[in-house]
Parts: sequence; structure tokens; C-alpha cells
Amino acid sequence: MTWPGSARSAVALAFDLDGPTGDALLSGAIWDRPAYFSLGGYGPWRGLDRILRLLAERAVPATFFVPAWVVEHWPLQCRRIVEAGYEVGHHGYRHEKYWDLSLSRQRAVIERSQEIFERELGCAAVGFRTPSGDWRPETPDLLSAMGFSYSSSMRGDDRPYVHPSGLVEIPARSEMDDYASFAYTRNPDWPSGGSRIASYRATLDTWIRDFDGYHAEGLCLTTIFHPKVIGTPGRAALLERWIDHMTDAGGVWFATCGDVARWWRR
Amino acid sequence: MTIAWPHGYSAAVVITVAFEAELAILAVAPDAVDRAKSLSVGTYGATRGVPRLLAELARRGTPSTWFVPSALLERYPEQVRAVRDAGHELANCGVALEDFGALDDAGQLTVVQRAQEAFRHRLGVVPAGFRVGRGEMSPRLPGALQAAGFAWSSSLHGDDRPHFHAAPAGRLVEIPRHHQLDDLPYFAFNLDPPIPAGSPRIAPTGDVLDNWITEFGAYRAEGLCFVLTLHPELIATPGRIGMLAQFLDHVHAQDVWLATAGEVATFWGEHGSANSPDHPVEVFHRTIDSTTV
Repeated sequence: MTWPGSARSAVALAFDLDGPTGDALLSGAIWDRPAYFSLGGYGPWRGLDRILRLLAERAVPATFFVPAWVVEHWPLQCRRIVEAGYEVGHHGYRHEKYWDLSLSRQRAVIERSQEIFERELGCAAVGFRTPSGDWRPETPDLLSAMGFSYSSSMRGDDRPYVHPSGLVEIPARSEMDDYASFAYTRNPDWPSGGSRIASYRATLDTWIRDFDGYHAEGLCLTTIFHPKVIGTPGRAALLERWIDHMTDAGGVWFATCGDVARWWRR
Repeated sequence: MTIAWPHGYSAAVVITVAFEAELAILAVAPDAVDRAKSLSVGTYGATRGVPRLLAELARRGTPSTWFVPSALLERYPEQVRAVRDAGHELANCGVALEDFGALDDAGQLTVVQRAQEAFRHRLGVVPAGFRVGRGEMSPRLPGALQAAGFAWSSSLHGDDRPHFHAAPAGRLVEIPRHHQLDDLPYFAFNLDPPIPAGSPRIAPTGDVLDNWITEFGAYRAEGLCFVLTLHPELIATPGRIGMLAQFLDHVHAQDVWLATAGEVATFWGEHGSANSPDHPVEVFHRTIDSTTV
């Protein structure tokens, strides 16, 4: 694998700006749960700004996968992502699970969301990340037909590859999902078994070891970070230390997922 | 926007205590009512936890706000009087850790008012603040709380500084809290019935101290309002009380305003900025008004 500028490895930081979207919004149950809504709202309201400041200070690019409902309800905040030069990608309208949707419903969600992106942000998404991971077997063909150039939805590799439809895949790993370490909600409970919020220092150590391994093997690392989870004051400080570790390592090509897809296609 | 905290302090720190005793177990496992071992997990909070925690708070003169279900005013009157007499703030969280999500609007308000009456009658105290005991409060409860004379609530998670509730509760101050700054998600444990449900390992005490110190450092650097939630049966054990002492020593060494939730709410009511229309509470109420019934 070769990366631009003879870089040793690629890092495509990616954030899912879910806000309060997801099952409770899809069912309407969230309108009886102001506290659960507030937990999600923290992402676009506070977490995002903290992450944008950090990325600007460190001059590191990133991709934000944003449900279009969040763009509709926090348009100013979402415009700041684009104005700062970062990429926005598709992540459903209200974080629909594509595995549950017929192809015609998938098409409708994408069309509605792309219209909102173009109206509010001035650009349509070329990248796609499935909310909650799974899709229908026919989805990659649909995505290619609808003009997407890449997906970042799968977990089965540590470098990009190409789906039969021609769609580039930039796979992520669950170790690099901040939900696995830090997310914690009540009503509904997540994790369902009440597992602990992980140690910050142990999680940073894990992420450093993961990066070191990707870098040593010359791979492509991307993240499934959520501003409502990683964007608390203390966790943003961890993210800062992790970015500094990667920068100090030298020879890393920091890129958006879109940049990685374009490079891989060539 | 930077907050100009009183006396030029960099940030605010609010220590809140959830004194729940046996009710914490009963809220999760009602059939534990005749299971002495499981109940004793909570009893310990009253008999050993409260005195040990009060002593630690007294050591450095740390102010705090205690949420006490009013049923405990009858069950543990000495402990509650000791909290009051030490100058800590007492606040309303219902009668017996009711699941607010299972009550209608009138039922929620009735529970709040019964608890308020018990505080007035038994302690001569009128709490100005409220935190939902278990479950979710109704979107209409903040308006009812304001109408009933409450000044503040501490139930939401959408910010890391105080804010106002949305109209018609626009004068009610919210002191938002976060799960990672609460001892319960790290330390709560009962073997059978299993609490938490998946029987995860108890978190290492030193790791939790590190989490709190990391968050506190960043809250202070950004000038925010750090709200910690403690349960006497969890934090006031012989081993963990030393961790709390380390944490409080660290906090007292910084230029931060240690205050009760009520003091922070008074400050915010007088000096706080109005909510941005993009604040989660404003987005919630604007959207619920336009999408439901």
C-alpha cells in the first residue's frame, strides 16, 4: 500500500454527529424523554464545537457523518463543519437502520437527506456510513447508482477495498468506536447490561496501541467517534493527546474519508 | 462565551449527594423487600456512609447538595438532620425513588408536592431544587416546578454549564449533570438480584479518580460547571472515601467556586445569559410543539 507523499499510514478521523436521532426519535418515544434528548443534543450543541476547535488547532482534517435531521435542527452548527473545510457524509435522516429498510425506503431517505444537505450546507454527500452498521445486500449497488463514491460501514478489514458495485469501502473497527468504551445512557439503558464507563487512561492507551499497529503495518485507520461521547471536556483532552501522539509519530497522511476514497480509486 | 463566575473564580464545582439507602435497591428490584442481604447494601449508606461522607465534607468545608427521597426523612431522621445541621443544601427528588416515566403529569407533581410537604413538616426546610429520582420527568414538569416555587432542577445532560429551561419554565435554572461524573455507573453492584443487569466488574477506584480528575481539569480550563454525584453507600466506604478525599484536595487546590446547586442557580438566575435558540432544551420544546398532538 502506498499513501500520498510517501506517508507510512493513513488516518481518516471520522465523527458520527448523531445528536438525538436513533430508535427513540424514530418511534417518537423521545418526546416523553427530555433527558435522553438532552444527552444527544449535547453533541451538536457542545461536543461538536470542542472537536472543531481541536481539529483547527492541530490542523487535522476530518469527516462528519450527519443524520440530515440534525442538519435541519442545528443548521448553524453543521455549517461550521463545512465552512472549516471538513467533509460531511450521509448517515440517514433520523439514523434509520438500513438493514430494516426496503430499497425504496432507503432511496427515499437518501433523496430527502441529500436535498437537506444541498439546501442547508450547499453540498451533497459523496460518502455514506450506515447508521448502526448493517445494510441490505443490495445497498452497495443502490449507493453507487445514487452517486456515492465510498462507504465507511464495514468492520472486516484494516485497509480500504472496493465493493463489486465499484463503491470504495473504508472499514472501521469497533475498538475505535467511542461507544464501546464510554457511551452510557439510562431510559433506554445502554449498554443493556449496565457495563461500566471505561477508564480514560486505559482507553487512551488502547487507542495509542491501535494507532501504533496501523502505522507499523502502513494501514488506514478511521474512527467511529461521536461528539456527544468523545466531546465532553475531559474526553476531548484525551482525543487531543491521541492526535498529538499520531502527529509526533511522523509519516501519517491525515485525510478525510473522501480523500482516502479518491486515492484508493486511483 | 466565557462565564464570569463569582469572585473571579475560573469554574464552578457542585458536589451533589444522592442519599437513597434501601430505596436504590428497591427501585431496581421491588421483590428485594424481604431480602436482607440486598437491602443491607443500601442500609450501609445510611448507617456507615452518611457519617463518613459528612466527615469528609467537613474536613475541608466542602459545600454540597443532598437529594433525599422524603420517605427517608421518616426512616433515617437522624442522618437527615445531621446533613441539615452541617449546613448542606437539601433538595427534592420525590418520595421513594418513583419511576417518573410511569407517572402522568399530575402524578409526577403530586409526588413532588408530597415530598415538599414532608420536608416542610419534618425538617422545617423548603427545598428550592429538584432532581428526578428515577426515570424521566415529563416535558411539562419544569413548568409545574416553576409554578410551585422551585428555583432550579438538575436532571438534564445537554450542557456543561447552567442554563434556563424553555418557556413556560423560562426562569427555572437547570444544573446539568453527566453519568461519567456519578459514582453509580462505576460502583453500583449487587450479585443477586444482579445490579447492574449484566453483572459487569466493579470499576477500579483509581481509574475513576483519574476519569474525574481528567474531566475536572478540562472543565476548569474551559470555565464550566462541574457537577459530581455521589451515593453514600458507594463512595463512603473505607477504601473509596480516600479517593474522594484525594479528589477534593485536588479541587480545593484550584481557583474554583465550590458551591451548592442552589447557590449556582441563584447566580445563574441573576447573571446567566438567555438560552440560544440552538440550545437542546429550546430545540426540544420547539420541535415537540410542532410535531405532536
